[in-house]
Formats: sequence, structure tokens, C-alpha cells
Amino acid sequence: MHLLVIEDDSEAAAFLLKGLKESGHSVDHAANGDDGLHMALAGGYDVLVVDRMLPGRDGLSIIRMLRAGADQTPALILSALGEVDDRVTGLHAGGDDYLTKPYAFSELLARLDALVRRGQPDQIQTRLRVADLELDVIKRSVTRADQTIRLQPREFRLLEYLMRHAGQVVTRTMLLEQVWDYHFDPQTNVIDVHVSRLRTKIDKGFDPPLLHTERGAGYCLRAPH
Amino acid sequence: MLHTRLLKTTALRLSLLYALLFSLLSATSLGFLYWATGHYINVQISTGLHTEVTELRDIYTSHGDTALRRVLIRRLLSTRNDGRHYFYSPTDGRPTLGDLHAWPATVHATGKVQNVWIDSKQLPRMEQGDRDQDDDQYLSVLAVKLADGSRLLIGQTLHNAEDIREFIFGIVLATLGVTIALALMLGVLMGRSVLQRIDAVNRTAGEIMAGDLTRRIPVTGRQDEYDELALRLNAMLTRIEQLMTGMRQVTDNVAHDLRSPLTRLRSRLEVTLLEHRDEAEYRNAMEQAISDADQLLKTFNALLSIAQAEAGVRRDEAAQVDVSALVTDLGELYSAVAEEAGLQLEVHNSAAIHLRANRHLLAQAIGNLLENAIKYTPPVGRHLTLALTRDGERVRLSVSDNGPGIPLEARERVLERFERLDQTRSTRGNGLGLSLVRAVAQLYGAQLHLLDNTPGLRVELVFTPERDNTGQTTTTQT
Repeated sequence: MHLLVIEDDSEAAAFLLKGLKESGHSVDHAANGDDGLHMALAGGYDVLVVDRMLPGRDGLSIIRMLRAGADQTPALILSALGEVDDRVTGLHAGGDDYLTKPYAFSELLARLDALVRRGQPDQIQTRLRVADLELDVIKRSVTRADQTIRLQPREFRLLEYLMRHAGQVVTRTMLLEQVWDYHFDPQTNVIDVHVSRLRTKIDKGFDPPLLHTERGAGYCLRAPH
Repeated sequence: MLHTRLLKTTALRLSLLYALLFSLLSATSLGFLYWATGHYINVQISTGLHTEVTELRDIYTSHGDTALRRVLIRRLLSTRNDGRHYFYSPTDGRPTLGDLHAWPATVHATGKVQNVWIDSKQLPRMEQGDRDQDDDQYLSVLAVKLADGSRLLIGQTLHNAEDIREFIFGIVLATLGVTIALALMLGVLMGRSVLQRIDAVNRTAGEIMAGDLTRRIPVTGRQDEYDELALRLNAMLTRIEQLMTGMRQVTDNVAHDLRSPLTRLRSRLEVTLLEHRDEAEYRNAMEQAISDADQLLKTFNALLSIAQAEAGVRRDEAAQVDVSALVTDLGELYSAVAEEAGLQLEVHNSAAIHLRANRHLLAQAIGNLLENAIKYTPPVGRHLTLALTRDGERVRLSVSDNGPGIPLEARERVLERFERLDQTRSTRGNGLGLSLVRAVAQLYGAQLHLLDNTPGLRVELVFTPERDNTGQTTTTQT
């Protein structure tokens, strides 16, 4: 992926750039709002990572300008402001995702992947497939190796989300937000339990295992290469 | 210094305004009095003149010219005759009689009282009197025609009347003067009194600004509007003191209790570096360090949520929350975890219960309670219940378990930050779960009860939604 990071804190930026490059992406950096806007307008990026508080022009203003110019490049907003209202403001300004500092780098990576995927046409598919696991969104049916698998409604949504992000790392926070629509910090491994139940239903007795745990990051549904 | 402040006080300005108004009022009243008195005097004089003219006419008509002359002479010579003037001017060439040199040109025998100026040369020289003898006199004159056409004139000098008028005018001025002086004095007194009360407030404020948050504005006990203001301000100051203390506590707690995990994290990394290790060991150490850091972040976020809830910062984010749906979702979310722990979670829900609150905070609070229940109930206990019921006007939300419960003496303590019932801290957790629940309860004016579930613990939140004018329910926010 080709990314633009607009972040004024030089250490945070250095860390971000390093991490992203080591994850296999190519990254450009702008240290203030005006430069950031210029570079974003020049185009060619898959995703933008925009810090909200910037010298010059602030992050939300950059995104608004881009959207006003019909530029739909996905943008992930980074902010120290973490309240619900701030999220809503950020998303209304045209941001596609919102991450509060401090954040886990793995979280950022996972969300960036999801953002890039989002813009791609196969999202509108009603039949999802990973290896021999098939999910039909309209019919609400799940089969693997042609055997029907019965899932609870929530398990179905969980699997649908994982399949739509097949091959990407999906963090627990993303699952809590997208599948359950909650933004709190559970102390227990509440998500893990649901995922492991799902895994039991779709992986147990089948080969190969599709639902993997990425240690320290989250989960990934993928067919092994 | 005091004088300029005094001049600027509203009290003084109001007093001056009142002084002006009273003066105007007094002036009007007294002016009316002045005019009325003058008028009365005029009427008296007129009546006197008419009466006398009638009398003299009768004498002339009944007894003739000689009799009239005799009466006139007697009256002219009378010493009681203060300011009375007569003039008799017969038609047929007989001599005139009177104390004026001639019939005044300005006077006409109309039978109506006229007020005229008589040239001083027309008047007789006075023997007495404190008037300048060259002054013209102002007279009230009544002139009539007698039966044969002769003219008769009676005049009255108005100097007495003038004196009375001047006297009353003097009184009017004096009264005005006294009124204004009194008003000014009162104004100054009031102004000073107000300044004193306000200075008391200013002084206290100064002390508070200098750092002493315990100071309060003195209340005189007079229960007047200043006392009301003072009481309100004092209540505000108490709240500020609470917030400041709370802030200090938070920072103290945060500093103290984040130090331990941070130190642990650091130690782990430091120890790992002490000796040469293989890659797997390094990886492992780093992954654990990340896990520690994540735990720290969770604690930090939880502290922030609690602090904000306690300070009422999240109040603006409240919206109508479908609590019934929330309970259903959370019940479903946590039932899996409960099962994992060998427990059964029952959900007793009620339909269509809404509260005006922040959904995130409510979810966090319920989540914390459920997590506690799951964590502290051994499989032996088996039952957990999440219940949402309506109790008249109130909404009751509770989480109960039949685990070991919390002993009575610890029930206050566990609500504090970082308080763990398990002093060995062997179970996972940061001791903030119940603190957040309490903060949320306070924020929405709900009662929080920790009750004995015999056996076990039952945590209850009782909300009292209020209906505002639009008929929507809101939660009382204190």
C-alpha cells in the first residue's frame, strides 16, 4: 500500500513510518497541515493517516477539503481526543475510521488494511467464500465442505465480518465496534470467547483451520498458502 | 479611594434618582400648595372687597353722599386700615375723596376685582412701613358705579399676601433642600453598607484565589438577598473544592497505581537484557511487555472514564438510550463468557425502557458488573442474573450472583479506585470496575446499592427518569 502520514510529532511519526515500512508499505510523511493537504491533493495514495491536531491546518479540515474536491481516498484519523462526540465529529468530517491515542500499532495496521479493502468492489458481494467455507448473506446460510453449519445470529455476523476481511488481521476492538457496536474496554476476554466458539463450529472437524489467532493483535480468517 | 468607589455604587445612584423623584414630587405638591394658598388669599381679599363695596353702596343709596363721605373719612383715618385705599369720584363736580391723588387710569368701574400696579406717585407717603417709598404698589382693586354714575373704588395692597407667598415659597425651598440632603445621606449610607457586603465577598474570593479553598463567604443570618447569594456562592465553592480535591486524588492515584505496572514492565525488559538470550526468549519478553502495556492502557482509559464521569464532563453526550436493547446485547455478549466459566447467565429484561444517558458509559458500567460477577463467582455458585425492571417511576438495573459476595464492612471500600477485595491481587483486574459504576450512578443521579443476595452479591442501580416539558424522560443529573 502507498500511504501518507500527516503527523507533526516527529518521534511518533518516525515510529509510524518505520513500522509501516517494515510491514511492507511505502510511506510518505508530512509534518504540518498545509504540506499534508498539498501532498494528499497530489493524489496517488491508498490510505491517509491524519493526526487531528496539526500546525497550519488541522486534520479534519484537510479531510473536509479533500471530500469537497470529490477525493474519496480513505482516511484514518488519529487523535488524543477520544470522546464519542469527537469520533462523531471526525467521521462526519469525512473520516473513515477513528483511532485514539495511545493506540496499538497492530490495531492501526489492521484498520488500515480494512480501510483499503472497503473501497474495493468485492465488498458488495452477497456470497463470501474462503477456501471451502461459504456464507450466503441473503439466505443466512453457512456451509463448509457442503455441510450446513448452524450459527446464532451474532455468530453469523461475526463470521460475515471476518470473511469480508479475509486475509486481514482483525483486532478485538474492531470486532467489538463493528459486530457489537460498542466502544468500551472489556476487562475479560469477552470477544475471545465468542471467536473461539465460532472457531469450534467452523474449524473443528474440518481441514485446514481457517480462523487464526494473531498473537498480540487479533484474529485472521484465511486459507493457508 | 472609598469616595470614588462610593460614587460608583448602584446604591448611591439609585438614591440620587430617588432624591430627584422625591424632590420633583415634593416640588409639585408644595407648588400646588403655594398656588392654592395664594389663590385662597386672593379669594379672601376679593370677597372682602366685594363685601365692603356692597356695604358702602348701601350707605350711599340709603343715606346719601354725606353719609358715604363720613364713613369713608372714618375708614381712611383708621389705623387698622392696613393697605386699604379708597377713592370716591362723584359725577357732578363735587370734590373727590380718597387717599390716591387721582382716579387711576388703568382702573375701570367694572364691578370686577382687578389687580393693577399703581404708580408710587399716586400713592400717599407712608409714615411707617418697611417698604421703599418709591416702589410702585400692586393692588387688588374693585371699582363700581354708584346709582348716579359716581365711581367708587376700593383697593387692597397685596404686600401681606406677597409676604405670605414669600414665606410659603421659603418653606417649599427649605423642604426641598432637606429632602435632597436626606436622600443623599441615605444614599451614602446605603452605598457604604452595600460596599461592605461586597467587600466581604471580594476578600473571601481573594483568599480563595491565594490558595485557601476552605474559605467561605460570611453569611450574616439576615436571610436577605445577599445571604442568598452568599449561600449559593458557598455551595459553588464547596463543589469547586470537591473537584479540586478529586483532581488531586485522581492524579495521586494515577501516579501511584500506574507506577507499579510501569515498574513491572520496565523490570521485565531490564531483566531480559541482563543476560544473552535466544531469539525466542526475546520475542516472548517483548510480547509480554506489549501485553503489560495494553493492560496499562486499559487502566489509564478506565481512570479517565471515571474521572470524566465524576466531573460530569460526559453530561453533554447524553442521548436517549434504549436500555432494553443494551441489556439484551450485553447479556448475549457475556453469556458466552459466563458459560466458559461454568456459569449460567439469566437475563430478565423489560421492554422499551429508555434513559437519557451516554450509551458507552452505561455499557461500560454494566459490562464491569457482569465481568465482576463472572470473575468472582466460582462454578459452584452457578447463577448470574442481569435484570432490568421498571418500578413505578423508577428503573432498576441489577446484576446478581450467588458467589461469595462482599462482606458488609467492605462494601464502601470496594467502590474506591484500585480497591481490590482480594488483597493478594491474585485475580486479574485493576480495581476500577466498581469505581466507574459509582461514578456513572453519581452522574445520572441514580442510587447504587450493594446488597446481600443471600448468598452472593446483588448490585443495583436505581434510576429516576424525570419527564421534562416535552414529555421525554431524562435522568436526573446532579
